Amino acid sequence: MNDAWDELVSAALMGTHRRPYQGELLESAAVHVVRRRAGRLVSEAEAAGGAAAGEEAEAVSRAAGERLARILGGEQPRLLPEWLQAAAKTGRRVPPHLVPDLLDQGARDRSIRAHLGVLAGHRGRWLAGLNPGWAYLLAEPTGETWELGSAGDRRAYLRELRAADPAKARGLLEGGWEKETPDDRAEFLALLAEGLSMDDEPFLEAALDDRRREVRQHAADLLTRLPDSRLSHRMAERAAACLTVRARTIIAEPPRACDKEMERDGVRAKPPRGTGERAWWLQQIVARTPLAFWGGPAERLVRKRISDWDREVKAGWVRAAVLQGDPGWARALFAWDPLADLLAALPPAEQEAVAADFVKRHGVDGQLIMVLGGVSVPWGADLALAVLKKILKVAGSQPWNLGELTRIAGECIDPALHAMAAALSPEPPVQEVAALLRFRSDMLKELA
Amino acid sequence: MSVNVANVRQVIERWSRDQVLGLAPDGPSGKAAQGVAAPGRWQARGVTEEVLWGECAGSGAKPYLACVDLGGPAYRCSCPSRKFPCKHALGLLLLWSADDVPDEDVLPSWAAEWITRRAARAEAAQGEREALPRAEGARDDAGSCGSAPTGVAAVGIGDGQAGRRARVAAGLAELERWLADQVRQGLPGAEERDWEELGRRLVDAQAPGVAAAVRRLGRVRAGGEWGRLLGEYALINLLAVGFRRRDELPAELARTVMMRVGFPVTRGEVLSGPVVRDLWDVLGRRDEEQDRLVSRRVWLRGRRTGRAALVLSFAPVGQALDASLVTGTAVNADLAFYPGATPLRALVATRHPQPGTGHGTPPGVPVEEALAEVASAVAGDPWTDSWPVVLAGVVPAVDRLGGLPWHPRVATPWRLLAVSGGHPVTVAAEWTPRGLIPLTTWYDDGQAVLL
Repeated sequence: MNDAWDELVSAALMGTHRRPYQGELLESAAVHVVRRRAGRLVSEAEAAGGAAAGEEAEAVSRAAGERLARILGGEQPRLLPEWLQAAAKTGRRVPPHLVPDLLDQGARDRSIRAHLGVLAGHRGRWLAGLNPGWAYLLAEPTGETWELGSAGDRRAYLRELRAADPAKARGLLEGGWEKETPDDRAEFLALLAEGLSMDDEPFLEAALDDRRREVRQHAADLLTRLPDSRLSHRMAERAAACLTVRARTIIAEPPRACDKEMERDGVRAKPPRGTGERAWWLQQIVARTPLAFWGGPAERLVRKRISDWDREVKAGWVRAAVLQGDPGWARALFAWDPLADLLAALPPAEQEAVAADFVKRHGVDGQLIMVLGGVSVPWGADLALAVLKKILKVAGSQPWNLGELTRIAGECIDPALHAMAAALSPEPPVQEVAALLRFRSDMLKELA
Repeated sequence: MSVNVANVRQVIERWSRDQVLGLAPDGPSGKAAQGVAAPGRWQARGVTEEVLWGECAGSGAKPYLACVDLGGPAYRCSCPSRKFPCKHALGLLLLWSADDVPDEDVLPSWAAEWITRRAARAEAAQGEREALPRAEGARDDAGSCGSAPTGVAAVGIGDGQAGRRARVAAGLAELERWLADQVRQGLPGAEERDWEELGRRLVDAQAPGVAAAVRRLGRVRAGGEWGRLLGEYALINLLAVGFRRRDELPAELARTVMMRVGFPVTRGEVLSGPVVRDLWDVLGRRDEEQDRLVSRRVWLRGRRTGRAALVLSFAPVGQALDASLVTGTAVNADLAFYPGATPLRALVATRHPQPGTGHGTPPGVPVEEALAEVASAVAGDPWTDSWPVVLAGVVPAVDRLGGLPWHPRVATPWRLLAVSGGHPVTVAAEWTPRGLIPLTTWYDDGQAVLL
């Protein structure tokens, strides 16, 4: 039959005046076409790859799934990470029909991938095996072990072990240290930030000689957080060599060279464009010097006059306060320069109080948004109220300026406060925040 | 002042978000609806067993009053939008779909009034239909079976049927000659503009069905598959020959030929014929734009009779399309089928109260059985180029379903693959000569997933 059809097609293609055809060509063709449509056979070959394994975890509720579909469909897309995080905590997974959209999202946005390994379940990995665009999923954690798991699995395993038994986690890492890839070494080392103590010091000191710069940098950062580490002592000596604290002033004489030892301790020799070498070295030394070195209370030190190198020393202090997580210094420095990073060094309640105070005194601008972005979430009632009142005040005078503020308020205020926000004012921007909070509140309830 | 209409206890299962967005007349409407679907925008809202209503703050002083009869479904809103359903009705449905509309027992008076008026209108229409004479009362809203109503309106009042037939006969005779010429000269001779021109002449000859088929040839040619072009030529030729020799055909097949050529059967005529009552699963739908007109095909299958049906509606681009059939639901209704050798197209004559809800997965058949049904459909009406099937126990693959390929225009149906995970599932699909187009699948618990 196929031969006869091919014969018809080639005759029609050439034209019957060149290739004569016995009979009515179009009528024969009609018979063929209809016969083929009616007589189609099933091809036997079945799909390779087999079936996906059954899921151990249950899917999230239908309501939760529908909300995920709404988010993936473009309604409140910025809440996707929050949904994923809350869903991951439930130990459940995403219903299969939403997995392709979610994997597409993960292909575009690396930051959400960490949760997808577990949330997409076996179905997700089965799909990733069929679609090369989703292959990244196969490297994300799924709950497997240290020895056999993917890089993501092993990170998750180490993180958990470190939280439970810091020494054991360090021991595990030391055991196979030489065999790990440089990327893994850097990633794993950073996880030691949790539960850091002087017990880790010898291992970290050794890591300063690693071949990979990221590893050395992480090790130096961690050692900076330990005031009794050898690195901290060396830095204090360097600081003492170039800085003198007087009654009202600080005299600075930055180093004239960056030697091998300094580089080993994490001082980068090459400054970023626009910064002088000596200024750059000075700043880094200050950043890695234990804050206790400076003696006296931070408030007083911050007010001292610093000859010529004021900006570098203060920038060093800011970095030191953040690296070493020192609330006293962070508080004092924030008053001098309200940087979001500094807030992170304060206890959460104080972060909110400082931020609320800042909101009251400051106009709506990029800096305000940055500071608010540094406050840990969710925001409590005081900060929420301060921000909502600010929104209300600005709504009357410069509503075009509100977009980012209402958005960050809606995303960061504790969603349980949605009723308070809704009752505060009927003004649209406040209602917008309230609606977003309610959306999140409902979302979290569905995932409770 | 409100009226209690909650006399029969029956709960409509909430539609999914996809099902609601599927009702949007176009993309922008769906987007706009999401903006309206914020609880803060609604001063009041509620849902009884069958009716959803809400008052949405708009730009004016008065709120817009939106109301959806979920049983219909039917939509109404006091806003001036020409979109249908409008963003307020859709937004309200989205809220309801997200379980964000409180249950109420009573309707506000404005909503109750509308429902009452609607019921009265439906009753009047029913009475009218029963009393309908055979005369051409209502103009067919859709022209010939399976094609756009191009040129139907051009049929002047008082223009005799005989005169029209003569014009069509002349047009089709010319078409036959043209096709024979193509085969003699060789297929590559014809170009897009030849078909355009031919299509125009066929419209003038008042054969809109054939005209549309000829105009579609451009797409076939673009694919460069000569076999396909020959096949289309052959079927168009078959239709022209069928028309010429219609007196020799069985009556039903002759009807099919007339409809496909472009002689419309009126709505009234269809509705005055026999009806088939069943619980109809709404399997899916497809919207297609041709000549600034959007056609909507909704595929149905009866639970009891196993019959396939197609409900076709048309609207100018950007305007209201029939949104009363929601994919993934089942409707208890009388369908009136258009006549023909393989009846498929139908009108919803009457909708009856739903017997309960949550009908779950519709019954499907093995692929072989579905193909046998397609074969008899094609045997009855050789121009059949689309047929709804529900396949049970099939394992979808990247390139095919149950041993049948996907239509070349279908992108990999990842959502279907995800639901199946390599295990057998039930899938509703549209059969076409070139391959299957996936419509809907179901989870084991009966939840529908739109594809």
